[in-house]
Amino acid sequence: MTPPAPALVAAPVWDIFVRLFHWSLATLVVIAVVTGKVGGNAIQWHMVAGGGILALVLFRVMWGFAGGEYARFISFVASPARTLRFARGLIGRGHEYVIGHNPLGGWMVLAMLALFTTQAVFGLFSNDEIMTTGPLARYVSDETSIAFMSRHRILAPVLIVLVALHIAAVLYHLFVKNENLVRPMLNGRKSLPAALAAEARDGRKASIALGVTLLAVAIAVVVTVFQWSKLFPG
Amino acid sequence: MKSLTRIAITAGLLGLATTALAQPKPEAYVKERQSALSLMGWYFGPLGAVAKGEKPFNKDEAVRATTFLVQLTKMPWEGFAAGTDKAGNTKARPEIWAKQDDFKKKADAMQAEVAKLAQYASAGDEANFKKQVGAVGGSCKACHDDYRAK
Repeated sequence: MTPPAPALVAAPVWDIFVRLFHWSLATLVVIAVVTGKVGGNAIQWHMVAGGGILALVLFRVMWGFAGGEYARFISFVASPARTLRFARGLIGRGHEYVIGHNPLGGWMVLAMLALFTTQAVFGLFSNDEIMTTGPLARYVSDETSIAFMSRHRILAPVLIVLVALHIAAVLYHLFVKNENLVRPMLNGRKSLPAALAAEARDGRKASIALGVTLLAVAIAVVVTVFQWSKLFPG
Repeated sequence: MKSLTRIAITAGLLGLATTALAQPKPEAYVKERQSALSLMGWYFGPLGAVAKGEKPFNKDEAVRATTFLVQLTKMPWEGFAAGTDKAGNTKARPEIWAKQDDFKKKADAMQAEVAKLAQYASAGDEANFKKQVGAVGGSCKACHDDYRAK
């Protein structure tokens, strides 16, 4: 079943910010899910994790315009026709190597970014009617913040399904298509057929200074939102 | 014979009258439980702020709030009487009446946690009080997760 392996060459694909983003997000999502389930005093950490997730997705959206070649939306958002073609190939016997996110993966990135942002924003306005309110809940009516809480609860399992699909796709690549996608997300280097590897090496490199700046901007925005009531009392 | 009939009718009418008086409408039960739970929220909310360090611990306030809470947390359960699952504007899930044993177990667990909280308050034990607020919050959530509409 394993497709014949072409000669592969390692090439840099994922810049350091994409990797940091990915594993930080994964860690914070696990913390958010666990602390959300546990409740009680752990809810404080749930809010910290949620704030961190919001900062990360804000950063990633900016990085999608300003990051390294394969971090950019323009490099991985594929047309429906292209996505369909790729999906057919994925089910079939062969294996199509893609430098960055493959078309399906690209759509998954967009879906997760959109829904993690939505979930974090719901949380900001939520009121659990026990002892915890999101930092912006006081600026809306009780009715509204309780409705946000309800949406926050309903969206959570949807996000867990998305993450499960994402992991399933990685495992499918590993065991059925014989391509390890985890290692590149750790060391940034993907094994690709020679022509693609050459193209990847020529791809636009990420600016570390710009990455650090944008990350700082994203964190500053989230800290401001969380401290809004203290910064602008009354 | 006539007087016996009269007595029977009178007794019957009285019986009807008393059952009518003793049996509030289902909506009234919903109001009872929601009122008790709202008051619980009113007195517990500020303790949550204390646990998070957003408000300083004050023994007198903690004793006052927990004294009320010990009584309040005994109240809402009679409001979950049989036949009140669809009355009024309720978020109570039908599972409450299907799994009465578990519902009661969780209600009892919450009251036990609140009793402990009251003890820490009157002992002026700030550190344990703050921890225990989390335990109470968790016991509220345990029930909400299973028995309250999302």
